[in-house]
Amino acid sequence: MLEIKHTLCPSCSVGCGINVVSYNGEVVGTNSYKRHPINEGKNCLNGRNSIDMYKNKLKNAKISNSDVDFEKAIDEVSNILKSNEPEKISVICSGNNSIEEVNKIKEFADSNGYNIGFYADNFVNIAGDVASYDEVENASNIILIGDILYENPLLGRKIVHAKDNGANVYSFVENASVTANISNEVCGSLDDVLDKIEDSSLVIYNHVESSDDLDKINDITVKNNSKLLAVFSKCNSKGTANIITPSSKEEMVDLLNNSDVLLVFRDDIKSEIDFDYGKIKNIISFTPCSNSTSDVSQIVIPISSWLENDGSFVNAMGLTQEFKAVIDSDDLSEIEVIEKIQDKL
Amino acid sequence: MTYVLAKSKNSEIHEAGECGGAVTSIFKYLLDENLVDGVLTLSPGDDIYDGVPTFIADSEDLISTAGSYHCAPTMFGDLIQKYLSDKKIAVAVKPCDMRSIDELIKRHKINPENIYTVGLNCGGTVSPITGRKMIDLFYEIDPDDVVSEEIDKGQFIVELKDGSKKGVKIHDLEQEGYGRRNNCQRCDIKIPRKANIACGNWGASEGWTFVEINDEKGEELIKGAQKAGLLETKSPSQDAIDARSKVEGIMIKLSKKTQDAIYDKVNAMEEWNRCIRCYACRDVCPICWCHENCEINKSYFDESQIPPKPIAFQGIRLSHMSFSCIDCGQCDDVCPMDIPVSLIFDKLQKKYSNRTGYIAGVSDDIKPPLYSPAKEEL
Repeated sequence: MLEIKHTLCPSCSVGCGINVVSYNGEVVGTNSYKRHPINEGKNCLNGRNSIDMYKNKLKNAKISNSDVDFEKAIDEVSNILKSNEPEKISVICSGNNSIEEVNKIKEFADSNGYNIGFYADNFVNIAGDVASYDEVENASNIILIGDILYENPLLGRKIVHAKDNGANVYSFVENASVTANISNEVCGSLDDVLDKIEDSSLVIYNHVESSDDLDKINDITVKNNSKLLAVFSKCNSKGTANIITPSSKEEMVDLLNNSDVLLVFRDDIKSEIDFDYGKIKNIISFTPCSNSTSDVSQIVIPISSWLENDGSFVNAMGLTQEFKAVIDSDDLSEIEVIEKIQDKL
Repeated sequence: MTYVLAKSKNSEIHEAGECGGAVTSIFKYLLDENLVDGVLTLSPGDDIYDGVPTFIADSEDLISTAGSYHCAPTMFGDLIQKYLSDKKIAVAVKPCDMRSIDELIKRHKINPENIYTVGLNCGGTVSPITGRKMIDLFYEIDPDDVVSEEIDKGQFIVELKDGSKKGVKIHDLEQEGYGRRNNCQRCDIKIPRKANIACGNWGASEGWTFVEINDEKGEELIKGAQKAGLLETKSPSQDAIDARSKVEGIMIKLSKKTQDAIYDKVNAMEEWNRCIRCYACRDVCPICWCHENCEINKSYFDESQIPPKPIAFQGIRLSHMSFSCIDCGQCDDVCPMDIPVSLIFDKLQKKYSNRTGYIAGVSDDIKPPLYSPAKEEL
């Protein structure tokens, strides 16, 4: 029958609540979760479309693009792991994983001596104080790097509130954008927009070109007694970064270069890191639905989606939020799959 | 038009209901007699500020839904049309819910034979987060200590765990930007007379629900629940009828005043400058149901342009359905950019209504404009 349950949106790191509608045990839609303190029932298109992950779920495990029995695929994974040197095996963790999953992945990698890599939008070595969303709404001087209003609109909304309250907003963003439309001034370069920082400003970014740029942003912000808010593209990158140190693009490429076996957990690393993935002997993806990385994987293991799991995410401002499964699942969770593989090693 | 005062004869329901438990008893009657597959109503989620739409198929589960939720601005028309159109259901409806159902019946998206509508008089709803903030700020009470809330005699009143109550004038809250949602402040349909019955506490004495019976189906509901031994009724006095009418009249007058003050102030072009083309306003709109064929999805519009050109985005929706806007405010509630969408659409509906007499979801026997057999084929 019709059921509406609360959960968290997995489409970025803002940490919005969302209601999921199910009918006779199938996910059929979303509905606004107006009691949620962060987004008050408002969700962006990505958030509302996040249930597509459930609708497009993989039905079978795959080896070399052919459907195979799940147990056979697990056996094959354990055989590969046993027949390769641990130092040539790399585990890719993701901001798409819950805190509980990240802990399990790290434990799995550490106990077997595997390398571990975690990429978080090239945001590494984030320094200084992290701004809360309340502080965004009450800020008087805001520096935006990236199209925050379009890409993270429920944080963007808080910037609009700050603007309505009299804040100055300066942005380094394309001129034809909603972020530009609400800015007092659109700056032509990163240096120009950083020049607008004054004491007690807020610097919000969702995109940086390089680690050098990130260092520059960090240094100037800290020197000006200001606060930062890094908006990650994945729901739990902040929480994952508390457990596994994020790597830069260059570090990720080094890791891939040194890997004969790549275990990718709930991630699409191929879409983010430019690399010749054909060079890696075995790529094994653990994912609820196919993506560009699973498309180049020798083995694909289906795992349950976030809608079918309990867990917790840490949002961009550092708040840990718990969520409950909104639907029953026949699939094994990522944690159960890891335990199954570990048992065979 | 017939009026009765009603209350539940079931002591548990009587105790749990906001004013005598008449509505819950009527739902129990419908479920127990197998006249419906289920009842669509609200049940508490995270706390009393969180009303979650819930489909109840067993009357034993109804007790958890008793009471009112002024901080749950939900919309049922949309849910019925999308997920329950093949079921026989009963539903508790605010005036805007009822107006949406009426518009969807006109569009053949809801079968009137499949639905019992139990109307709830409505002075307005409060967004849950706004409700919590204003209780903290104006009542100096921890919102988590509140066990129930009500709107009565122009006040938003909260009751605490220890049984004490505190009220603040809604006018004072709204002067400071709190209180009811903006669309509720200008809404001039307070009693859902298109519902089979309209229930509320206006004009009712303590422990009773004042019921306006609007049609034959409504008459059957009251008589059936009485016959089943679930409902006790009596006739209201003329004073009670007059008191209810007075409350409605005052509320409508206040709403008209708000309309006059606000319609000219909105600058649509400036507001749309923040639009991120997320389609949330359209997707949540209970009147917009033809999503697959929606013109604003068509490839002849440049989808990459953000914000979109108003004439090619909002303009199309305005021309397609603003005359049927029921001012439910759902579009405001879901807009990530806080664009006052319902104000812009409602303003146009009022203009249309002033010229043609067509009030969306209220006018009888009039098809919505631009509605034709060709449209039905979509």
